[in-house]
Amino acid sequence: MPSHDLDSVRLQLLERVKTSETPRDILRAPEFKDLYSAIGTLAPEEKGPYGKAVNELKQAIETAIEAREDELESSEIETLDVTAPWDVNSTQPEFLPTNEGSAHPLTTEMTNVIDIFTRMGFEAVESRQIDDDYHMFGSLNFPENHPARDGYDTFRTEEGFIPPAHTSTMQNRILKAGKDKLEAGGQIAAISYGRVFRNEDVDATHEHTFHQVEGVFVSKDATLGDMLGTLRSFFEVYYGQTLRIKTQPAYFPFVEPGLEFAIEKPAALGGKSGEWLEMLGCGMIHPNVLREAGIDPTKYRGFAWGGGVERLVMLKYGIEDLRHFESAKLNFLRKFA
Amino acid sequence: MIVSVNWLKKFTDIDVSIEELTELIGARLVEIESVEDLGEKYKDVIVVKVVECSPVPDSDHLNLTKIDDGGKVQNVERDENGLVQVVCGAPNVTAGMLAAWLPPESIVPETFADKEPFVLGARELRGFMSNGMLASAKELDLYDDHSGIVAVDKEAEPGTSFAELYELNDYLLDIENKSLTHRPDAFGIIGFAREVAGIQGKAFTTPAWLDTLNPEITSNSSVETPSVTIDEPELSDRFQAIVLSDVSESAQSPLEIQTYLSRSGIRPISAIVDVTNYMLLLAGRPLHAFDYDKLLAVNNDKIDIHVRSGREGETLALLSGKTIELSTDDIVVANGETAVSLAGAMGGAATEVDANTKRILVESATFNLYKLRAVQMRHGIFSESITRLTKGIPAPLGAPVLVEAAKMMGQFAGAVIASDITDAYPGKHTPIIVSLQEPIVNETLGTQFSAADIKELLENVEFDVAVNGTDITVTVPYWRNDIHITEDIIEEVGRLSGFDSINPVLPTRDFTAVRPSDFDLLRAKVRGLLVRAGANEVLTYNFIHGDVMRKAGQNPETAYRLTNSISPDLQYYRQSIVPSLLVNIHPNIKAGYDHFAIFELNKFHTKLTGLTEENVPKELDGLGFVVAASKKANKKSEGAAYYEAKRYLDYIATELGLEFAYEPLEADADYPVTQPFEPKRSARVWDTKTRERIGVIGEFKKSVQKAFKLSDNVAGFEISPVSLLKLTSALGTSYEPLSKYPGTDRDVSFQVASDVTYGQVYDAAKNALSHDSDSTLRITLTPLDIYEPESGETKNVTLRFTLGSYEKTLTGDEVNKIMADVTEKVTTATNGKVV
Repeated sequence: MPSHDLDSVRLQLLERVKTSETPRDILRAPEFKDLYSAIGTLAPEEKGPYGKAVNELKQAIETAIEAREDELESSEIETLDVTAPWDVNSTQPEFLPTNEGSAHPLTTEMTNVIDIFTRMGFEAVESRQIDDDYHMFGSLNFPENHPARDGYDTFRTEEGFIPPAHTSTMQNRILKAGKDKLEAGGQIAAISYGRVFRNEDVDATHEHTFHQVEGVFVSKDATLGDMLGTLRSFFEVYYGQTLRIKTQPAYFPFVEPGLEFAIEKPAALGGKSGEWLEMLGCGMIHPNVLREAGIDPTKYRGFAWGGGVERLVMLKYGIEDLRHFESAKLNFLRKFA
Repeated sequence: MIVSVNWLKKFTDIDVSIEELTELIGARLVEIESVEDLGEKYKDVIVVKVVECSPVPDSDHLNLTKIDDGGKVQNVERDENGLVQVVCGAPNVTAGMLAAWLPPESIVPETFADKEPFVLGARELRGFMSNGMLASAKELDLYDDHSGIVAVDKEAEPGTSFAELYELNDYLLDIENKSLTHRPDAFGIIGFAREVAGIQGKAFTTPAWLDTLNPEITSNSSVETPSVTIDEPELSDRFQAIVLSDVSESAQSPLEIQTYLSRSGIRPISAIVDVTNYMLLLAGRPLHAFDYDKLLAVNNDKIDIHVRSGREGETLALLSGKTIELSTDDIVVANGETAVSLAGAMGGAATEVDANTKRILVESATFNLYKLRAVQMRHGIFSESITRLTKGIPAPLGAPVLVEAAKMMGQFAGAVIASDITDAYPGKHTPIIVSLQEPIVNETLGTQFSAADIKELLENVEFDVAVNGTDITVTVPYWRNDIHITEDIIEEVGRLSGFDSINPVLPTRDFTAVRPSDFDLLRAKVRGLLVRAGANEVLTYNFIHGDVMRKAGQNPETAYRLTNSISPDLQYYRQSIVPSLLVNIHPNIKAGYDHFAIFELNKFHTKLTGLTEENVPKELDGLGFVVAASKKANKKSEGAAYYEAKRYLDYIATELGLEFAYEPLEADADYPVTQPFEPKRSARVWDTKTRERIGVIGEFKKSVQKAFKLSDNVAGFEISPVSLLKLTSALGTSYEPLSKYPGTDRDVSFQVASDVTYGQVYDAAKNALSHDSDSTLRITLTPLDIYEPESGETKNVTLRFTLGSYEKTLTGDEVNKIMADVTEKVTTATNGKVV
């Protein structure tokens, strides 16, 4: 069958679909039977291209049928008076019972953490959820291709953007924004908080999406002792008791020295003496990081830290599975009503 | 990485308990994942002398032995000479040998970690009593060899503890590799021992052989010094090679070497291979041995080694049996044109050392760590060697390690040095010198070290330190290629002395209060409102499946797509919040919740909004809300679901001091946010006063309902919290003083044509009231009823007017006059009448 015949069949069928009340029946139209039976009459080398053309035609008709079905369906839809406070012949809808409402435990805890740091003098900046290589790595003293990048298991978009793997993705911006204040004799004290992403398989203790809080402090005379004191103070306020702390050397390219920071497990969490909880990574900001933000590292020093929020919440409530947080299960959420 | 404490002790004193040692290492060097007490496992193993050995009658392989344990073991049956009888099936048991005996009641070390460890006894075999057993390497859990019993190769009195003789009364530290990423030097026992000395405050001295960077060798020059060319200098800092002859490949290394390998997790194979592995563990420096004659064979009997990039279409058969296709980003070692190993990663099968090997070429080289990292990923090779090479092993280490290895191969396998050492060395090391002043160290750490303290701490780990007043000049040893700047030295001082000895204090700051972010406050307020009204806050992923987008009527092509997502479920950045909520409606209904509302305050992204000034995608903030009831909840009598969602949105508006206007959503509204909504039953939402766009509200398209298995009782909205912030920050106070005088209510029903909207009636009434210029009057409007008779041609909208005055109690006449005026205006504007 010549191709112009196919075209005319296509046009006829499409026309019929447009006006039909039962468009799906058209898939059983005799025209299709004719088209398929014609295959048998063709030379072997013509069979392939012809079959393909018929299939394409059938696809086009099916798409048109779906569109027509949607059209038919929506023509049955009644229009609402969108300006009214309630439906005609009806009364004002009631709210759901207030005792069933719940805030997400992660936002509640995040608010709590932000509140403590705000009271300590830190401004809070929300972290971006999509960023670029420069803010995620380059501005933080991670050379291209450096093995330290491996530890972050980042996702990438087609354009090369990165769902940030740490809230430190805001650090260069925070430092730049605070530069003038610093040079006018002030300090930079800020936290960035929000979602971070790592290319990890999900199980009870691993998530590809989680939440962090990172902090930055820069002044003329910041010391590592100041950092330890600040972090201890935060956790003492958070847990409402005095705490012992300890550290462990660690390697993060954007700090030097770099440390892991642990607290003795608080009594509120059933802790005993000698039990430690690793809470976060921290260190003195690497001079390259300050320099990258236009801050003179020979005049100013700072410290930075970053830790996860899920862990705080899981410890606080004894939550057994990290996957609950992003599950949107009311079974879980209503426990926090 | 496994680190043996006994091995460390060969290089530094350790005079603290194992608990204190692990605590100290944790605080000042590296995270220890676990500690294994090896001594416990070997405590009962005894060195014995086999005094008599004769075949057991009627057995083809059993021998009856009498052993001398020096009388050490109690409660065991002995003959008149004090010897113990053991039946042994090993072919290599002979009279006169020293062996390892597991006495009755001891645990077979191989089963030590099992749930039910195997405890030996005395039992009869072929009629002969056998007490305990003579043990094989496998039974001793040394390595996987069960072909015979272990022959003790050191001189020892019968009765000696096997553990003591072979230093197996040891602790094994399992080190978290990740925390040593930047410390190639600590990936060897000697480097690790140097650190252990330093953190104990002890001075360390590198063994002389390792400290000799240009060692002398004596070669018989039976072969030519191998020719080596590094084709591209950036591929390798240094490549050394030496040829050894007269190698006995069947030779085994001494048991002590074998036990050190096996306790470090490496299986002993042959003397040659064991030596390369031993040096790898000891000095952190990988070596590779080629069969020299096989190497000659691939290049017409010539050695012409090249370090070069892989070539397009080139393949290489590896030792593992796998043949790989090389990439131009791989580094290979080639002889002539033929690639013979994937440099740093794995040797080639064609030049493998085997039982017939007589001559070997030993390679000691470093390769570009960035390239090796990619090789690791590309070919999935994560050997002990490449793990170390990707940390950046310093080139000067190559010579002493190569020479020491050659010596050991001579001792254990009869190898003879047959050539001089080739040394291709394009990446010569220049020592790093860091100059600093004492105050910067203390100012950064918050400590009070003197320059002399600093000098001592650094000299303990073999830094070269010169002090002149407060000036400190540090020459960094070649193995510390992680140290370049003052801050690195400060870290060393803090770490070696212990960060935990630094006094935690608080920075000084002034009293300036920090203002919480207005956006956070607004979101907290909205969150609180919705929770109070019974809704549940959720958090859902930013990443969704393309199908979820399509089901919601959105086009994935305008979404940012991840190229390396672990699952199609996380393929795209979501382009609005509501679809993520719709996914979760049906599962919650199935879980037994008949009527609920969920919401999320979060960000979303679409390519449609373009980039910021920083050239990163603009981020959009959304508040998505969906209220849902199951079919069986039967909410029809309460009106369309749309109004339930609107009740929530109006409530947010009122509580924030705003008023929203609702206009039908045009059918062609084409934003990702509006796409799930059914135009005929949805509205755009505006701020009444400023016409600022707020968002969209409505029920969902039939196709969306079907795709997400939603009943008709589902509606929602998605609005911009950023717009809310803008509007609320511009608001003044909305408080109106109370009036002393009572007000009056008047209810009026307006009958209008059914196509006149409630909004038109309400707005007409509001307009009419605002034209009244008497500012002492206070009039509010409340909807009471919307009635449509069955005919459907008209509808009645009943509004309550509450009238009051700040100056007096209004009289009936005054109220009537105002109402007459207002109703007149409303009926005119709406073409209706009062009923």
